[in-house]
Amino acid sequence: MKKAIQLTINGQPVEASVSPNQTLVQFLRDDMGLTGTKHGCGLGDCGACTVLLDGKAVNSCLVLAVQADGCQILTIEGLAENGKLHPLQQAFVDKGAIQCGFCTPGMILSAKALLDEKPNPTELEIRTAISGNLCRCTGYQKIVEAIGEAAEVIRFREES
Amino acid sequence: MGDYRVLNTRAPRIDGPAKATGQAKYADDFKMPGTLYAAILQSPIAHARILHIDTSKAKKLPGVKAVVTSREAGLIKYGVSPARYDETLFAHDKVRYVGDEIAAVAAFDQDTAQEALSLIKVDYEELPAVFDMFEAMKEGAPQIHNEFPGNMNAEVHQEFGDTDAALAACDLVIDHTFLNKRQDAAFIEPHSCLAVYEPSGRLTLYTSTQVPHYVMRTVAMTLQIPVGNVRVVKPYVGGGFGPKCEATPLEMSCGLLSKVTGHPVKMSYSREQVFLHSRARHQFYAEMSLGVMKDGTMVALKNKAVLDGGAYTSFGIATVYYSGSLLGGPYKLKSMKYDGYRVYTNKPACGAQRGHGGVAHRACFEQLIDMTAEKLGMDPIDMRLKNIMMTGDMTVNELDMSSLGMKECIEAIRKGSDWNNKKGKLPKGKGIGMACGFFVSGAGYPIYRSDTYHSTVVIKLSEDGGMANVLTGSAEIGQGSDTTMAMIAAETLGISLDNVRVYSGDTDYSVDLGAYSSRQTLMTGHATKEAAEEIKSKIALYLSQELNVPIASITFGDGIVKFDGGPGNFDKLRTNYIKEHRGWTDPPSGEYLTFREAARLAYLRAGTIVGTGKYKPPKLGGSYKGAAVGTSPAYGCSAQIVEVSVDLDTGQITVDGMTDAHDCGLAINKMSVEGQMQGSLSMGLGECLFEEVKFDSRGRIINPSLGEYKIPTALDMPKVKSIIVESNEPNGPYGAKEVGEGAIMPTIPAILNAIYDATGVRINELPVTSERLFMALKKNAEGAKI
Amino acid sequence: MLLPKFDYHEPATLEEALRLLSEMGGNARIIAGGTDLLVRMKLKVEKPSQLISLRKIPGFDAIIRRENHGVTIGPAVTAAELSKNELILDRFTPIALAAGRLGAPVVRNRATIGGNLVNARPAADLPPACMVLDTKLKLKSATTEREIEVGEFFRGPGETTIEPNELLVSIFVETPAPWTGGAYIKLGARKTLEISMVNVAVLLTLQDQEGIIVDAKIALGAVAPTPVRAFAAEEYLIGRQPSTEVFHEAGAIGVGMCEPITDHRGSMEYRCLMIETLTSRALNQAYQNALAWKP
Repeated sequence: MKKAIQLTINGQPVEASVSPNQTLVQFLRDDMGLTGTKHGCGLGDCGACTVLLDGKAVNSCLVLAVQADGCQILTIEGLAENGKLHPLQQAFVDKGAIQCGFCTPGMILSAKALLDEKPNPTELEIRTAISGNLCRCTGYQKIVEAIGEAAEVIRFREES
Repeated sequence: MGDYRVLNTRAPRIDGPAKATGQAKYADDFKMPGTLYAAILQSPIAHARILHIDTSKAKKLPGVKAVVTSREAGLIKYGVSPARYDETLFAHDKVRYVGDEIAAVAAFDQDTAQEALSLIKVDYEELPAVFDMFEAMKEGAPQIHNEFPGNMNAEVHQEFGDTDAALAACDLVIDHTFLNKRQDAAFIEPHSCLAVYEPSGRLTLYTSTQVPHYVMRTVAMTLQIPVGNVRVVKPYVGGGFGPKCEATPLEMSCGLLSKVTGHPVKMSYSREQVFLHSRARHQFYAEMSLGVMKDGTMVALKNKAVLDGGAYTSFGIATVYYSGSLLGGPYKLKSMKYDGYRVYTNKPACGAQRGHGGVAHRACFEQLIDMTAEKLGMDPIDMRLKNIMMTGDMTVNELDMSSLGMKECIEAIRKGSDWNNKKGKLPKGKGIGMACGFFVSGAGYPIYRSDTYHSTVVIKLSEDGGMANVLTGSAEIGQGSDTTMAMIAAETLGISLDNVRVYSGDTDYSVDLGAYSSRQTLMTGHATKEAAEEIKSKIALYLSQELNVPIASITFGDGIVKFDGGPGNFDKLRTNYIKEHRGWTDPPSGEYLTFREAARLAYLRAGTIVGTGKYKPPKLGGSYKGAAVGTSPAYGCSAQIVEVSVDLDTGQITVDGMTDAHDCGLAINKMSVEGQMQGSLSMGLGECLFEEVKFDSRGRIINPSLGEYKIPTALDMPKVKSIIVESNEPNGPYGAKEVGEGAIMPTIPAILNAIYDATGVRINELPVTSERLFMALKKNAEGAKI
Repeated sequence: MLLPKFDYHEPATLEEALRLLSEMGGNARIIAGGTDLLVRMKLKVEKPSQLISLRKIPGFDAIIRRENHGVTIGPAVTAAELSKNELILDRFTPIALAAGRLGAPVVRNRATIGGNLVNARPAADLPPACMVLDTKLKLKSATTEREIEVGEFFRGPGETTIEPNELLVSIFVETPAPWTGGAYIKLGARKTLEISMVNVAVLLTLQDQEGIIVDAKIALGAVAPTPVRAFAAEEYLIGRQPSTEVFHEAGAIGVGMCEPITDHRGSMEYRCLMIETLTSRALNQAYQNALAWKP
């Protein structure tokens, strides 16, 4: 039997009807057309499906859509504002932190959750924050650099 | 090096914003009205005769549109190399590994497709199976393919010079063996495909592949569709690293089911199915002897390889050749002997993976060099410097090092890592090690025997002259080939990168063999450059006619056109351009004629301006059997130094630092080159320390997940120092060559040499888990006591 | 990967949850974070027809300080919360450390202490940490209520003493005595995202800053069908003056309590050797933490 849910996705209120066995990643991709959230393993091992649920980075393949009822969801599509890339997105582009791009949405959202909590993270904190997001292309170095740079940009922007 | 405006910079990738915002589309992101979902039935048994397949119940399940088996698919054999086509889309007489495909279904949704699979009844007669490559070679072992007695899939025997005589004359000969484990590429995007068969008879596949061209050919052959009616479109791909280098049962099943049902058909592999499909790194056993003179001069190398190929050939013939041919350098040898055996076992087929065929044998060889240096009392770096090849050298197996910055790489890492102050001076538990390697910049020959061009490119200018559209069948799989082609086009045309768009990965755009053997930069780069040059000459011709100036006086650069180095007189062109584009926001301005105006003139005179380019390598290599494998127009090379800490009480290894130098010729994009280098190191670190696909006693994979098949996380990777060395490659476009695979060659042996430096224990089996190292340390200590 | 079909219930009160549980019995499973259950359902290891969510039950995600004598942790408190909570870090250190080593941040943000205890995986992170502290689990059904020591909770891999109609409603942990320090060490292949090959939780109480060991608790994970206490090693430690040698000996004794298996993560032999090493190492760390104890 389908269940009615109400939630906020990328700032927009959404009402939907979902099957109990539908995961959040299936709901976002199949029902909402938000295919920026990637499906990599389905078992919470890779982090490609990371979204922010009430501000916290989670594997959306291990969250039921019904469990997101009443929650705030941020996906990669909701990060840029007015067509302008979020500093994290810009830094990922500028620093060469993107190769195949399949881990990128999840990686950026894990980084966003980190910077929201710790605006000035150490390198170890950055590496820890993205340690559930696997990347096979980059060796993580440029990702770590990009997150560090984005943190600086955001701090500078908020100071001025 | 030339004075470049676009090339040799750190330009951000052109696909960056799309990927950073989630707009970039991958195969699983496509959806079409009426799409059916497919699923494949795979064998739960490693080796069995198929007695009967009953699909009647599955066909009757509401929502099921089609069920296909070998009856519908036929028995057309396919594979990678025509010399060893040993697969059919669906197994018909027997299954040869857990995961062998038996049937596929298409249904209105995924749940129904899965349910239908459970309703297909297969009667098996289980056969004895063999899972170990050495067991498989023994007399009396279960036979997997009738055509290949003794389970011998391929044998290679090559000798250059008289190796036994050369070894006998050496001052010192040291032996070593090495065993890696079956690995997985562990790209983050599982294979996915959407097939659309149209009533016209045309089949289009939107698929996650490295090789649209080969997929097109294989699918056309197996599904019996004229090749001109098959179009393969590769959207963005979430990593490949080798295993996506061949047509998959997933692609063929989707195509067949779309043909049968008339609906678009979509399917994605689960992560477990990615492991079952495999086609990733083989298990290699290496046995080597290196002979040297007292002064450290290397003389002769004897190399034996046994490869566990799994149930089918896949890329295996090339793999077993590469394990020999890629040891010919980067050191000078007087003689070399190679005996390679690829063996069938009842496990998923292995294929190509980053550093194809070379990685394990390189690991053995580079350890052997360190062992020899130690015996001779030489610094491992000095020993290598004494023997390395230089630009213009030819390996003993006739590979031409048309450029080779090996010396520069070694010197760069020696300095960059402060080697001289560390080697031999670190406390117990800390170690430093180094290694070298080299790799092809594109295979010298296609996989099938053919005179085909390896790459063709079409560049088409927009009607206003403001945009150059590059059309290519090349495969952007994350390595950055789209950006590379855009940069080469922009540089050649003398325009900005913003004025180039790349349309790639589509067999309708051009011919391109795809992203394997590190070939895109060199080969597609050549074709792109030639196409851009043709455009330039067309524009120059029309300008010279229109303005009545000699062609030789016209030059392009920075988005403008100069005449004898000056502005010339082009007033009427500008007036006309502005008149034609009245009301537009960006009229051309400035002292010089813009490229845009010049391109517009060309269009007005000749219609759409198109330039085409093409590339295939000249005849390469020697004339001995198998000489083609290992040939390339150019070779990249690299050297690495790794520093480790070993927890002597647990055996846990922490890689503290890596210093890496790679000669990629001209670095088209320095940021992308570093990205390839760092990614290679990460994969090498994982393969060295963690990665192993494990099987139970019945041939089932124990760890088909990214939780239990462990690739490095951000916390496992150290900070890497990446040093780009740029030789000038005469056979590369603008002097460029590979970086994508060569960079992984030294990683594993450099780590192993560092572990030896830290502990005094030599490990010759991967992965070096804490347990393996701890037990070796314990055994070593007990040995010392006795 | 597809989940099997099931009905989903989201009771707003504990009473309602218990009523649903008693009605549905063995067909229902409780879902909190879902990081373990949903994986097992996707792999078709479990196929419950009913899921009861704890999401809306008030207080289940709270950490409540019980003045001077302990803390009550709601079963739906996440590993992330436990790993960052100052009170838990300061006084109930092994729990915070173990929670911080569970999976990776994306997992810790969902995984709960209740789930980690009730699922009873032999290699789980939180059970050994709870076992070295004085931890009591409150289990309720529609008609009964009981409290059980955590050490008596685990029965085997995936098996506990909880009845199908019972719910773990709270976890009470008593505040350790002054001059207590704790530690948690986990051995896996990677630095994170790991299932333990061996894990060790330790709690050490000194008489005072220079004094003898007055209490010691050692619990080991992934070395037996359930997490186990190393009682003999604990007894050996009590009454002794702390030293590296004493800790080393305790490690050697600790091995005797274990019956590790050989599996694809590690061999029995290696696991035994590591129990010894890691126990002694954890005792050293706990000792350092005890020395740094502040009122």
